[in-house]
Order: sequence, then C-alpha cells, then structure tokens
Amino acid sequence: MSNSTTVTEAVMSRRSIRAFSDKPVPLSVIQQVMETARWTPSGCNFQPWEGAILTGEPLRQLQEKMKVTPPQDPKEYSWSDPEVIPECKARLQQVGADMYTAMSIDRGDKAARGDFMAQNIVSFGAPAVLMVYFPRVMGAPQWSDVGMWLQTIMLLLREQGLDSCPQEFLSLYAKLIKEFVGVSDESHIFFCGIAIGYRDEEDPVNAFDRKREPLESKVQFLGFE
Amino acid sequence: MNVTEAVNSRRSVRSYQDKPVDRAILRRVLETAQRSPSGGNTQPWNAVMLTGEPLQKLLDKVAEVIPQGLAAYSPEYNIYPPELDGVYQERRFGIGEAMYAALDIPREDKASRLKWFARNFQAFGAPVLMLVHTPRYMGPPQWSDIGMWLQTVMLLLREEGLDSCAQEAWAVYTKQIRECVDIPDDHIFFCGLAIGWGERSDAVNSFPVPRAPLDEAVRWEGF
Repeated sequence: MSNSTTVTEAVMSRRSIRAFSDKPVPLSVIQQVMETARWTPSGCNFQPWEGAILTGEPLRQLQEKMKVTPPQDPKEYSWSDPEVIPECKARLQQVGADMYTAMSIDRGDKAARGDFMAQNIVSFGAPAVLMVYFPRVMGAPQWSDVGMWLQTIMLLLREQGLDSCPQEFLSLYAKLIKEFVGVSDESHIFFCGIAIGYRDEEDPVNAFDRKREPLESKVQFLGFE
Repeated sequence: MNVTEAVNSRRSVRSYQDKPVDRAILRRVLETAQRSPSGGNTQPWNAVMLTGEPLQKLLDKVAEVIPQGLAAYSPEYNIYPPELDGVYQERRFGIGEAMYAALDIPREDKASRLKWFARNFQAFGAPVLMLVHTPRYMGPPQWSDIGMWLQTVMLLLREEGLDSCAQEAWAVYTKQIRECVDIPDDHIFFCGLAIGWGERSDAVNSFPVPRAPLDEAVRWEGF
C-alpha cells in the first residue's frame, strides 16, 4: 500500500488484524492520518469524536494495569445486544469459528480461546493504540459520526501501509483507561480501542476468509433501468 | 483516486447536475462497501436506492406536507441531543452561517433560509437518494458500524467521480418515507444520502467548511 492506494484497494485490504509485527509506527505518519481524518463528516458538524493515542512506555504501563484488573462491572455499555438475535448470533459464531479454525484451535479448547481473547488487552501486539471516547450526552446518530471517523482513520492507515483492529473489548476497562489518559468518567463514555501497526504477514489469524451478506439482502433498488 | 484525495474532496454537496447515475456504478460501490467492518460482523446496515419515478413520488409526497411545518414531523429518534451546548452549538451554527454566507442569505431573511432548508427534501436535485434503515434492536455501537459503512460508501462514490450529501433531515418525514418505500416496521429509519454528479463550482459547494484543530480531539502519549 502506498500513496497510490485507491479507496477500493483500501476497503478491500482492510481487515481486523490480530497479530502485529513489532515494527514501531512513526508519529508523523499517524499525525498525518489524524489530520486528514478531521475532514470526516458529522451531523451538524458536531465532530463528536475524541481520542488518545498511546505507544511505548505509557501503552505498556496501561496494559500492565489492565492485566491485573478484573473487567469492570457494570459494563460501560453493551456491545452485544443484537447477539440474542439468531441472524446476528450466527454471523458472530461464523467469524469466530473461521478465526479459530485458521489458528488450529479446537472449538472445545476453552483455555486456548481464553488465552487468545486476553490478547485483546495487549492489542494483539500492536505498537500503538487509539483509545476512542466522547461526551456521554451524544446519541445514536453521533455514534454513527464516530464510526465514520473510525473508518476514515482505518482506510487512511491502509494508504500508509498500516493495519488496524477496532476493539470494543477494551471497553471492559473503560474506567481504568479514562483515568489513565486523564478523561472524566462522568462526562465521557469510552467506546473502543483501535490497535495500530503493521500486520504479521505469516500469521494465519490474519488470513482467514471473512464472510459478508449478499448485497441483495441489504439493498433494494427502485426505479433504475 | 487515493484515500486521502477521497477524504479531502468529499464534502456535503448541495446542488447536482441533471445527469442520471448508472445502477452498475452504484452496485459496484455497494458491493465493495459490504467489506466495511462491524462489531461481531453484525453488518447492521440496510438501504433502499431510489431514482426516477419512485424518487419523484417520494419528493412529491413530502412536498405536500412541508407547508404544515413541524406538525408533519415524525422522526423516530433525536437527530441531535437536545441538551447539547457550548462548542457543539458553535460548530453547528458555524457551518450553517458559513453556508448561508456563501449563498448571500442573511440571518434576517428567514423565508429564504427556510426555502433553502426545504431543498433537503428534493435531495438537493440529486438523481439518486439512498434511504438507510436498521433493525430497532441495534444499539449505539451498531449505529457506529452503520457510520463506518456510510463513510465507506461516500469515499467509494468519490472514487467514481460521484458526490453525496448525508441527510439526517429526512428523518423528520419518516412517515411519508414509510408510505413510499418498504421499510419493515421493526426497523428504524436513520438518514438519506443524496447521490449524483455535483455542481462543484456552485457557491453552496465551494465555501470553506470549518473543522476543529486536531488538538481539540486527540491527545498523544509516549511518542
């Protein structure tokens, strides 16, 4: 990927990367990405997104704290409400099954699955992590704006040869993360982390086939020739 | 077109050329956009693409009720949080004032401003309108997934030379939309996306759009 990366190439080559190389990410590259991502649209131009980008020692310190802290209760928010719906549950189980099959982890091997889930805490070895939060007052449409910003960042990262993985998992440590980066728990909700780095090209967890619904089940066309 | 060019050249375009958009182009864009990420691979987005006769029917139906003003509104969610203030109100008014300044419509000229606002409901003359909906059981994180998908669509449209305008304004006429297109009752209608070839030299499409400096949104640790 390079500065000639088309949008289509960026969309098609982006995937959630769950094994990163230890190659560091230059500050100037991420700065450029974040500067450009300011041009993401938002309803009423609210630009509701906020974040902290951590690398090096501060990131390591935060991860050490998370390792010895139980997931918070109550949760910051529920990311899995739709999982009770059969079609959503089926999609989640499919992606999980495909991923663990690629990693040669048996369905019944709970210990191995648990170990892999715990890799979320260290963002799968990514050298940098964007922690995403915003004012609690924001409603569902503003969450959509934040999503637009996140996808803009992930596509711009592809242009720089970088990879990412959005991690709602990190919201299990929302209070801890906010305290660490100095953001008010009262005023702000923590949404997710974005792991940022270069993909490990060899690891099978980055290479399994990902499913999507056929377009016909998502979009109707009316009035076209 | 690279990603940076697409991000930088995307803007909410509010006047369009009278030129149709091929279904094949839109299919290509939407097929690629299916690769947008979503938590648990939920893929919560759904859409109806309207052009020609069915689009005109919707515009006509809404035009009939516009004179009723707020009495005809039927949004199914709050487009913006009622209690927002401070910097967010400044940003909201800032973009409105920038647009009306480009159009030479002063604050006092309420009639002209209202007339301009009503152009939302002609999709600003765009030949295609995409209507976005999602199951009601989806929570805020899934709305974020829909946002990722929407931005993917808007950037891919740029790559095709097309322009767009995301329009939450359509939410106020959800009732009329439901009368014209088949959106399941257990789905919520979110927004429209006007799609077409922009009149890029028009004043409304070329005024500078403000954005907050990066330091207001992002902090750095350990670099």
